[in-house]
Amino acid sequence: MDENTSGWHEFSKGFIIENPLMVLMVGLCATLAVSNRMENGIFLGLAATFVLVCSNVIISSIRGFIPDQIRIPIFIVIIASFVTIVDLSMKAYFPAAYATLGVWIPLIVVNCIILARAEGFAYKNTVWHSFLDGLGMGAGYIGVLLIMGFIRELLGTGKIVLFDKTIISLGPFNPPSIFILFPGAFLTFGCLLALLNRYKMRKSNE
Amino acid sequence: MKRLRENETVRLGVTLMVVGLVAALGLGLTYTVTRKKIAEQDRMAEAEAAADALPGVESPSELKEDKSLTTAARKQSPAVQKVFTNPLGRIYVVRTKGYGGPLTLAVGIGPDGEVKGIAVVESRETVGVGSKALEPGNLEKYEGKKAKDELAIGKDVQAITGATITSKAVAAQVKAALEADRTTR
Repeated sequence: MDENTSGWHEFSKGFIIENPLMVLMVGLCATLAVSNRMENGIFLGLAATFVLVCSNVIISSIRGFIPDQIRIPIFIVIIASFVTIVDLSMKAYFPAAYATLGVWIPLIVVNCIILARAEGFAYKNTVWHSFLDGLGMGAGYIGVLLIMGFIRELLGTGKIVLFDKTIISLGPFNPPSIFILFPGAFLTFGCLLALLNRYKMRKSNE
Repeated sequence: MKRLRENETVRLGVTLMVVGLVAALGLGLTYTVTRKKIAEQDRMAEAEAAADALPGVESPSELKEDKSLTTAARKQSPAVQKVFTNPLGRIYVVRTKGYGGPLTLAVGIGPDGEVKGIAVVESRETVGVGSKALEPGNLEKYEGKKAKDELAIGKDVQAITGATITSKAVAAQVKAALEADRTTR
């Protein structure tokens, strides 16, 4: 029972309490850049989650063999390998998404979320918990990307387009394109942070 | 004591090597699996851009790659990578160095020797700066140009502010395509 509850805790902490973007504030660079469209968020989120889960699992399963002095180079080799695998696969099977995400896919290597989880979690925990941690953190990451992508795309272009289909359209209205540009990323992110902090303050007051 | 430290170094080195080898093996496998598919996607992207370069051509299937013409064109302009033909004209795929790396354009030239359209095949120019020279509005300015036009920046074509190198590359590529077209007609 205890094993189960803590497993659920490792998985769910990535959603809100330890959300990599909103609370730990790591890996923001790519997030601010690609969250101008919801579809980008889906692809980058899935790619990063794949790398995160795989590197967490591999690192925690070989953590007994990794000498402490050279753990960082080993983490980087493992992470970079998975990123290259994602990079090649996306290029081969999702060329359109690859073309829009461009440099942000190879840059997953330096996404702090992944190295931070490797060093801070997978290196000290069991394979199963590291797997759940990766999955939860990935889910939290995708969630924020989707929310930001939704807000920015809807306000900045007046509609949401997913896989060449218009899902929502605001009709005739002249959208402020600032939302799909960089300042829009900061505005949206700031507002989301404010909302989250308000929620947390209310909760702690209770 | 010294012996022990040396052993430790060797152990670290071997560990790192093993990790590197396993990673290399995984990458090699992925590369082998995806290589063909990636090459195919690149070819498709190139053919699609080529089709965009010649107005009237609806799909890449209407184009035929002409290998002997490519060889002839390369003698005049080594930057030419490929030539596609169609009753409406020829499309020259030209590659030179841009500001951010290789820049590949498809230049459509009609039977009258005039530029009909230009499409970007591959570009690594800085988005928002160099890429401005590759926007449709700027590329359209080359339509109607002929081999006898000089295509010199500052004379008969204008560079885009901030994108001088890209503008020069575009002008040089269109010129190369026109020259290749003139000598192979």
